[in-house]
Amino acid sequence: MSKLKYLLYKDLLLLVRDIAGLLLMFLMPVLLVILMSLLQNSTLNSVRDAKVPILLVNRDPGELGKAVESEIYRTGIFEVSEDIDGEVPSLNQLEKAVASSKFVLGLYIPENTTEEIKLNVAKYVSAAFNGVETTSGHIPVDFTVYIDPTTKSSFNSTIMSTLRERAQKIQFEYIMKEITKQVNLLSPIPISSNSFSGDQVRIQIKSAHLEGNDIVPNSVQHNVPAWSLFAIFFIVISLSGSIIKEREDGSFSRMLTMPCSYSEYLISKAIVYTIVAMLQFAIMLLIGVYLLPYFGLESLNLGNSPLALILLAFSTAFAAIGYGIAIGNIARTYQQSSVFGAMSVVIMAAIGGVWIPLFLMSETMRAISLLSPMHWGISGFYDIFLKDAGVLAVLPESAALLIFGALCFTIAVTYNHKYRMDI
Amino acid sequence: MDKNCAIETIDLTKRYKGKDKPTLDGLSLKIPYGSLFGLLAPNGAGKTTAINIICGLRRFDHGEVYVAGYSTKKELNRIKPLLGLVPQELALFPSLTARENLMIFGGLYGMRGLILRKRVDDLLELFDLTSSKDTVINHFSGGMKRRINLIAGMLHSPEILILDEPTVGVDAQSRKLILDKLVEINKEGTTILFISHYLEEAESICNEVALMDNGKIICEGKPEELYRVYECGQNLESLYLLITGKKMRDYHE
Repeated sequence: MSKLKYLLYKDLLLLVRDIAGLLLMFLMPVLLVILMSLLQNSTLNSVRDAKVPILLVNRDPGELGKAVESEIYRTGIFEVSEDIDGEVPSLNQLEKAVASSKFVLGLYIPENTTEEIKLNVAKYVSAAFNGVETTSGHIPVDFTVYIDPTTKSSFNSTIMSTLRERAQKIQFEYIMKEITKQVNLLSPIPISSNSFSGDQVRIQIKSAHLEGNDIVPNSVQHNVPAWSLFAIFFIVISLSGSIIKEREDGSFSRMLTMPCSYSEYLISKAIVYTIVAMLQFAIMLLIGVYLLPYFGLESLNLGNSPLALILLAFSTAFAAIGYGIAIGNIARTYQQSSVFGAMSVVIMAAIGGVWIPLFLMSETMRAISLLSPMHWGISGFYDIFLKDAGVLAVLPESAALLIFGALCFTIAVTYNHKYRMDI
Repeated sequence: MDKNCAIETIDLTKRYKGKDKPTLDGLSLKIPYGSLFGLLAPNGAGKTTAINIICGLRRFDHGEVYVAGYSTKKELNRIKPLLGLVPQELALFPSLTARENLMIFGGLYGMRGLILRKRVDDLLELFDLTSSKDTVINHFSGGMKRRINLIAGMLHSPEILILDEPTVGVDAQSRKLILDKLVEINKEGTTILFISHYLEEAESICNEVALMDNGKIICEGKPEELYRVYECGQNLESLYLLITGKKMRDYHE
């Protein structure tokens, strides 16, 4: 134990004296988390705020034209234009404007639509109350909708079903009014058409949470854990570099001629870099909670289980340290370890969903991402931050990270024992 | 096993993977207790491999190695506290100060507290480095680094001290200081295995020498006896060139 104390003293001193390494381990992730949170926040907002450009030509002065117009404005998803260069376009001009992709949609409501619908509905209802078939002489009212052919069919279907829904709602209201009018002619007690208005079925859409808190994922909740994981794994470069430097300058061999074992040497490195990783993680959380709100971003909600947070952070640190020690043992030179270490961590981050959140990835990439330890970490942190998960919920991710770390340690020790003693 | 020997290798063989010839080819060497023993050899003769095996840093294919009567295969933990190694490379932590380096190495040798601090201060004083004790090694001259490298190997007053080219790249003053101190600690009872390319250094301080070539010992004994037997004048250089030849010994690692 006392020899371990001197090894710890050595490793801590070496770390503190390595200013460039410290900047890489602490300053880089802080800058990255602030920058990426801001970038992704504005990107997500711009996607969320984007509106569909629509050219609306309403030639109907009646209630229906007004109702459709007001519905289109009310939805908030359209950027509505009613003219082209100050002039109300004809049906032909509307078609050309959509075909040239100036607008995604063009909606043409012909003159006297309201009057024709009213006439049709009155004819139907009156015939119905008199027990007469009215299918003969039925003239439907046409709305003409032009759609940019380059838009996705799923988008078109969504838009058309929305328009259909609105038109049917209006038509239904007319029918109800007309029926009410007819009933009131026959009934001694008048009834109000207001009795039939209003949606009777409401569909509520909510995010699923384990314990019911209404947390919506945002760029802070993605970027803080994602870049914390990246930072923790980036210690691989410093850790493997320190192992190789000590091997190259002979101090590693000198230590092994002393009454100090290889396992004590590794344990000391692991303890020091675990402290570094936990510090990195704590700093990143503090930034998420206290600093990012100053940049106009949301504050990070840490969930309800500090123990789950510590367990997952420790498991991540263990995985990263195991990986760093394996690279430090297998790589022959400092250049090899730094290039391979940096590249492999960047690739792990890319496929693990650090840069681009998993929900934006294709199915294939999502399947590949399962291979990255950073994906396991991110999944665990999502559980804690978004679902308020506890220790039990993050056990699978923690176990995967711990097994990965243990495997790397085993490879490092085996390689050292089997090959280094013969080189 | 010879109980009078601080270090003994018996028929030691080591062949690296991919090499045609063995690096050590039946090396048998006896270094008596109390001797200041010079091991001289051309480049690529297997000196560093032999030292690494004696210190337990490398495996070997065949033979036996005993240090202070203990087998390196079975009792390495008993050997380590008795052995001090001063490697050819500057095996120090360059970003730490001289004192920090020595405190760490002393601590790893099991020294503690006041005893460790006093020993570090005494040796820094002895090697004229007290004024630089709080300077980082990176800022030291070559001679100062060599002296710290030497102190790190002898901090714990080992019974056996192995030095691999301890004076490479140092000025005359540092060289003289180092050699004088080696003679001094040898007189105090420490067995020293001294490896150097500087034959005049070995000649001036060693009381026994061995010449090694192609992974085995070619001759060994007291220098005067060897001069007489080989009839080669009165210096090690003549003896060395006579035995190892004048052909260049460039080699690939």
